[in-house]
Amino acid sequence: MILLDNVSKTFELSAKQRKERNTKDRELPVVNKVSFQCQPGRVFSLLGPNGAGKTTTLRMIATILKPSAGKIEIGGVDAIKQPLQALKKIGFLTGSAGLYERLTPEELIHYFADLYGVDKEVAIKRKLELYDMLEVHPFKNKRIGKLSTGMKQKVSIIRTMIHDPEVVVFDEPTSGLDVITAENIIRLIRNCKESGKTVIFSSHIMSEVDLLCDDLAIIHQGSLIFNGTMQAFRDDMQASNLTEEFIRIVEHAKS
Amino acid sequence: MIRVIFFKEIKELLRDRRTMMAMMVIPILVFPLLLGVIMTMTKNFEESQASEVLKIGVVGDLANAFIPKIQAIPEDAGPKMIIPFQPENIEEVKRLIRNDSLNIVIVLSTVTDTYSLQRMEVFFQGTNLGSQNRVKTYLAILEEIGRKDKLAEFGLTPEQITPFEVEYINVSTNEEMIGKIAGGFLPYIFIIFGFIGCMYPAIDLFTGEKERKTLETLLTAPVSRWKILVGKMMVVVTSGLLAAVFAIIGLFLAMEVFELVEDPELRGVIKNILNPVFIASLLLLLIPLTLFFAGIMIPITVGAQSFKEAQSVLTPINFLVILPAIIGLLPGIELNYITAFIPIVNVVLSTKELIAGSLDLVLVGISFATTVFFAALSVLVSYKRFGSEKNIVG
Repeated sequence: MILLDNVSKTFELSAKQRKERNTKDRELPVVNKVSFQCQPGRVFSLLGPNGAGKTTTLRMIATILKPSAGKIEIGGVDAIKQPLQALKKIGFLTGSAGLYERLTPEELIHYFADLYGVDKEVAIKRKLELYDMLEVHPFKNKRIGKLSTGMKQKVSIIRTMIHDPEVVVFDEPTSGLDVITAENIIRLIRNCKESGKTVIFSSHIMSEVDLLCDDLAIIHQGSLIFNGTMQAFRDDMQASNLTEEFIRIVEHAKS
Repeated sequence: MIRVIFFKEIKELLRDRRTMMAMMVIPILVFPLLLGVIMTMTKNFEESQASEVLKIGVVGDLANAFIPKIQAIPEDAGPKMIIPFQPENIEEVKRLIRNDSLNIVIVLSTVTDTYSLQRMEVFFQGTNLGSQNRVKTYLAILEEIGRKDKLAEFGLTPEQITPFEVEYINVSTNEEMIGKIAGGFLPYIFIIFGFIGCMYPAIDLFTGEKERKTLETLLTAPVSRWKILVGKMMVVVTSGLLAAVFAIIGLFLAMEVFELVEDPELRGVIKNILNPVFIASLLLLLIPLTLFFAGIMIPITVGAQSFKEAQSVLTPINFLVILPAIIGLLPGIELNYITAFIPIVNVVLSTKELIAGSLDLVLVGISFATTVFFAALSVLVSYKRFGSEKNIVG
């Protein structure tokens, strides 16, 4: 389970950033008192326009950023006080994440298995299962830099799942991918859900959200403007389709 | 965990052409190339000078008597050609030398009797070292012959007109003397390579990781940031040390395989340098120094947004390293209770002393402790910068 309780994040602005933004404010609030829960066996989607605070929220869940205020729990572990314990439970995949291009998929997977402290035999067994599932065997010993985007995405998936995480965090995982490669991610999210994992993913593509998620939160200018089940979102819909409803809610929040 | 990170980074680094060039190829080639070029150029210069026919003009009333003496100088002192010559004035002499029609013109003054001193003016081009040296050799031979003739004329032996005989006894060993010269130059090379060896890995492991968007992935692994920093820093330091070691290997190859140094005394000194005790001592001094370099570079590379940006900031820092290294090279600058506290300068001077074999253990100890202190300080700064969210997410 993921629990966020009144989580806020404020960035300090450098002189250069203040000049670029044409502001005298030394601080920039990015996330403001956000609270939600993601349950095991369910897919939670964090939806919002660009710059709404989705990535910052997910980075706080993944302990890359420390909240300015509030509380985050991952599988019952306080992610602020015990970040390393929390990280053992998390698999984090972003659409923009790079891989070590001078390593082979085989070397990369073993590196991350070692970092997560996965037992050697367990790592090999899990790796082979994932290789079979994603058909990675033919290119497992090629340098990652020479692989196609689709192949790299498969390696990223195995890297994320090698320690069998309890919670999986996806930050715009299909962004920039072709339909076939994006399908691998969608299949992975479904598999995670079926195996009882807690899944949270951010997106601004409504069709993807409609296809996958059970629970939904819409974030705009750092604050939640909707938090409920997908069913409740559909039931309360005033526009003719989900995309228009999403735009309507965001526009309403702006006004 | 530090071990896991260290070995993974080393593996990646060994697959990076740019780092391999800076860490291995250039350091290993520098001494063979440098010595090869210097020795070949010196040899070629000496050979061309020795085979060059020196065109000599002799002017004055006594020219006819002097020319046969020059012609009698043995050929092994260098080939020569006497050109008959009657200039109208000194300006013509200068013009003929400048346009290479003549290399040397000897203008003899008139002597009234046997006991008068024969004065002569020798015109030459100062830019032509070969002709200058050659004419000095000729005149030294003629002077010696003339002295013997005059002594024979007066029935004297050389001992009878020599007021005293001097024998200079140098208590410095050749090792000390050449060590003082080579000892300034060699540490400078090792320090520069230590710096260059650190530079590319520091950029690649920090800025590069951020630019390639792998840092965020690494930070989601359950590993403390200090362990990541230490693992990466160890790689940067190792690379700097390896660059210095490869420079030593290059020196060994130049000496033993390519035999580029012919001077026996210089060979002796360099051979003395290439011993396990010296190499171990040098590495001991270089460990904290490369750690200090890594500590200077990492905060910069952590903050930089691109490889180019990191490189453009680090390149001027090169001069900050070269400057104290050059100060250490200057004659008269010795390792003392002031210089031992100046980072980089103290390592250059300690290595200089090490090569010269005149080591003061207390001063070297102070140099080592000072470098360790600055290294620790720089590591602390690196830790602060690496831990900063601003530097991680940009």
